[in-house]
Amino acid sequence: MKPGKEGLKLARLMMVLSSISPLFILWAVRGNNLIPEYWFLGFCLFMVITPSLYLWRRIVMARKQKQIRPIVVGKAEDHRDHLLVYLFAMLLPFYSADLSAWRDLAAALVALGFIVLLFWHLNLHYMNFLFAAFGFHVFTIYPKTDNNPLSGKTSVVLITKRVAVSAGEQIEAYRLSNTVYFEPGGQ
Amino acid sequence: MDFDLNAIRTVQFGVGRDNGNEHAFHCVMVDAAVQKALGEMATETWATMRQLTNNPVRYEPSEKHSGCEHVYLPLNDDLAVRMKNLHEAVNLDINQNALDNTDAMFCYFTKFTDEQGRQLTALRRSTQFKGVLKSRLIQFSDDSLKILEDKVFKLDNDFDLLIDSQRIYILRPSGFEFVGKLKEAILAAVAGNIETLQADLPFVQFDGIQEYASTRPRAARYLASIRSQQEVARIDRQHLIDTCDATGVAIDRNGDELVISERDIMGFLEVLDRRRYEVKLVADEPEQYRAPSRTRLG
Repeated sequence: MKPGKEGLKLARLMMVLSSISPLFILWAVRGNNLIPEYWFLGFCLFMVITPSLYLWRRIVMARKQKQIRPIVVGKAEDHRDHLLVYLFAMLLPFYSADLSAWRDLAAALVALGFIVLLFWHLNLHYMNFLFAAFGFHVFTIYPKTDNNPLSGKTSVVLITKRVAVSAGEQIEAYRLSNTVYFEPGGQ
Repeated sequence: MDFDLNAIRTVQFGVGRDNGNEHAFHCVMVDAAVQKALGEMATETWATMRQLTNNPVRYEPSEKHSGCEHVYLPLNDDLAVRMKNLHEAVNLDINQNALDNTDAMFCYFTKFTDEQGRQLTALRRSTQFKGVLKSRLIQFSDDSLKILEDKVFKLDNDFDLLIDSQRIYILRPSGFEFVGKLKEAILAAVAGNIETLQADLPFVQFDGIQEYASTRPRAARYLASIRSQQEVARIDRQHLIDTCDATGVAIDRNGDELVISERDIMGFLEVLDRRRYEVKLVADEPEQYRAPSRTRLG
């Protein structure tokens, strides 16, 4: 048997694209001299709306299909600092990048492609500005260390409105991907 | 049962795979309709169990059980270790590839949570589940019948067993023995069982019995069953000798110790497990019997 894969490739890709959607808002505001306004704006709008719609659809589908997984918390770490890293390491450099020449624009898009690929493969698709905007926190949940050989040993990411997650707590969350879970309530 | 089947909140489905020397359990995501069907299977299982009896007897590894029989085993019993691990396992890894190579799949299971947060694990041997894969299925498509190319699995009507916080409720003992790897567990438990029995019956020499039972599943089953009985330590030496004499089990004596020859070990274990007995209904003609299955009266 092949080792367990993350699965939901398209959903994860869309979530990554959704996480970089603020960059396209900034680009749309800034505009570009190389491409006609309506094409550039249309592209930016497409890159903002489509992935976010897909993410919204993924959450709706997970809830409709009751894809709930009880997660027992061994240890939880709040990763709001990841969002800052994401903001400074990705959004700001790309926003300030000079896109006035075709080669600059192409280089920026290729660099963006690398980042998307990296986010996709490293399962960093939970870093989403929208989640933060709607008051969600991101926690990495490490599994409980018990003597049971069958218990899962993989850590997962929980997107929730809780401000703290206690060790030993059992949380029922919807599966967005095999490692990212979403708790709609949790306040 | 310590679970409310009418208030199921979460349903996790998974399969057990035999990866050579070890059994692995993986979760596989299923949609709401499959979750509903699994809930119905659990309800059907419990209803069938209650139809058979409301007062199940304890599962005994030495007993010859019928195909469908409602028995139970406490979750803290040594023979329940594998099922207990599955029931208490948390955050089971999700692996959609677990449905590949169906030959290695030996069971499927479901972990339920009710509104009060209580857990129920249900498990079934996957004979029928994967059996459909080898059939040539056809479906009505357009206006003609066509071969169905997709992989199709079939859920059964009920589970082989249910596990709550206290007990394993068994509907099909053979299914429990298969998925719980009981044969291996019973053989592995021989040394421990002998140690306990030796402490309870110091007047019996168990060395030869241990050697004999360590490679013979039937004898190992008797030992596991005898050990689980409450009255072992109260067995009277003379009564034991008398019963053995009456039922044709030869016993040698080495000082105060009773020594059993290899030929009579099974008979001796049957005596200890209350499976070998004498009936006197005809004058001067006592009859000896062996009971592969027996029920205690009163």
